[in-house]
Amino acid sequence: MKNLLVIVLFLLYGLDGYTQQPDARIIIKGVNEKFAKVKDYQANARIDTRISFLKILPQKAIVYFKQPDKFKIKSTGIAILPKQQFDNLFSLLRKEDAYEAFVSGAEVIQGRSTVLLNIIPRSDTSDLVLAKTWVDTKENLIIRSQLTTKSNGTVLIDYQYGKYSDYALPDQIKFTVEVKKFKIPKAVSADINSTASKVPPGKEPKTGNIIIDLKEYKINLGVADSYFK
Amino acid sequence: MYRIILTELIKIAAKPRSYIGLIAITVIVGLIHLAMFLDGLNYISFITNPLQMAFSLEGNILNGNLVCFIILQTLIIQIPLLVALVTGDLISGEAAMGTIRLIATRPISRSKIIMSKFIAGALYVFLLLLWLGLLSLGLGLLLFGPGDLIVLKSEELVIIQGTDTLWRFLSAFGVAYLSLLVVSTFSMALSCFADNSIGPIMSTMAVIILFTIIGTMEIPFFDQIKPFLFTTHMVIWRNFFDNPLPVQQIINSVSILAAHVVFFLSVTLYMFNKKDILS
Repeated sequence: MKNLLVIVLFLLYGLDGYTQQPDARIIIKGVNEKFAKVKDYQANARIDTRISFLKILPQKAIVYFKQPDKFKIKSTGIAILPKQQFDNLFSLLRKEDAYEAFVSGAEVIQGRSTVLLNIIPRSDTSDLVLAKTWVDTKENLIIRSQLTTKSNGTVLIDYQYGKYSDYALPDQIKFTVEVKKFKIPKAVSADINSTASKVPPGKEPKTGNIIIDLKEYKINLGVADSYFK
Repeated sequence: MYRIILTELIKIAAKPRSYIGLIAITVIVGLIHLAMFLDGLNYISFITNPLQMAFSLEGNILNGNLVCFIILQTLIIQIPLLVALVTGDLISGEAAMGTIRLIATRPISRSKIIMSKFIAGALYVFLLLLWLGLLSLGLGLLLFGPGDLIVLKSEELVIIQGTDTLWRFLSAFGVAYLSLLVVSTFSMALSCFADNSIGPIMSTMAVIILFTIIGTMEIPFFDQIKPFLFTTHMVIWRNFFDNPLPVQQIINSVSILAAHVVFFLSVTLYMFNKKDILS
C-alpha cells in the first residue's frame, strides 16, 4: 500500500512537471498570430556578405512580401543570399499540420529569455530535417533559428528587432552558413596568375555570414503581384 | 619620320594578312555574343554552380560587363597570335621580297626605319585592341545592358559593382596594349634573324603557347619559372578586377612588360643595324 502511494505521488509529480512545460503549439500560435498582422510589406535592405571566398561590397535591395508566401528580393546589383530565405521559417510554421513541435529547453539569447522549440517536418521528402527555434514567449518573437536541411547543411539565423517588433519584422537578420572550399580549375577560370591559397589546408573558415539590415518598412500598404514575377 | 611611319602603315594596310586579325576578332566576338544571347544563362549557371549549390544569386548576372570579361579572357591567347601575324613580317617580309636593300640604302638611318616599323606596328595593335574593345564592351553593353561583374577566380569570386567597372576595363585594355607591344617587339626581334615571315611568326606563336601552358599547369617546379615568363605578366590585366587592387603587383608587371618592350626593341635595333643586306 505504501509502495503504491509512492508510485501515485511520483506519477502525479511527473504529470505536474509535464503540464508546467509550455506548449509548443501555443507558442507557435502566438508567433503566427503576430506575423499574421502583416498582410504585405516592403522594406529597404542592405545585404552584407562575409564569406571567405567572396569579395563583394554590401548591396542595396528592396524586399517584398505578400501573404501567404510571396517573397522577392530585388537588388540593384548582384546579391548573394542563403538558399533558406528569411520567410521560409514563417511559411513552415503557418502549416501547423506539416510538422511536429516540442519544447526542448530554455535559454537566454541577446538578453532575452527564450524557449527552445524543436520542429520536425512530418514529410519524409521535405528538404528541412530539423528546425530549432528560440522564441521570446513574452513578445512572441523568434530570436534565433537553426535550420538543418538535406541539401545545404545547417544555417543559423539570428534576428534583431527594433521598432517593427509589433509585427515580428526584424531590423537585422544574420545568417551563419556552412561554407566549403571554393575551387574551380584554372582552365575554366582562365586565372593563370593565381597561386595556391595562403591559408593552410584545414584552416579555412568553416562558416560565413550574410547580414541583412532592414529598414523603412512599408507595412500593409499593398504590394502588387507584379513585383513577385 | 612621319612620312616613313605613313609608308609603313600603308604597307601594313596593303597586306591581306593584316585584316585576318580584325576579321578573326569580329567573328569570335560575334559568335560569343550570339552564344551568350541564346544560351548565356546556362553557361553562367555552369561556371557559378559551386556557388549556387549553397547560395542563391539575385540580380542581373548576365550583363555586358560579364560578357566583355569572358571575351577578354577567351581571347587571351589568340590576340597575341594575330598581332605576331603582322609584326613578325615587318622586317623578314622586306627580306623575303628583296625590298630590304632598297629601304636600307635610302638616306634614312636604319634605327629610324626600325622605329617607324615599331610605331606602325604599335598603331596596328592599337587599332586591333580598339576594335576588340568596341565590339566586346560596346556591343556587349548594348545587347546585355550594364550590371555588376562577377569575376571568376580559381579559389574565389570577386563581384564588382557595375559603376566601378569602366575605369577597370580601360586600365585593363591599357595593360593589354602594353602586353601586345611585348609580342609585337618580340616578333620584330625574331624577324631580324629571318629572311622569311613564317619563321618569326611561328616562333612567336610557339613561345606564347609554351609559356601559357607552363603558366596554366599547377606544378611546383613551374611556379619557380613563371615569374620569368612575359606571358605571366601579360595576364596582369585581370588584376584590375580584383578588390582591393593589387597595386604593387600591377606596377611590377607593368614595369617588367615595359622592360621587355625596351629590351626586344633594343635587340631589333642592334640586329638590324648589324644586319648584312648584301648577301
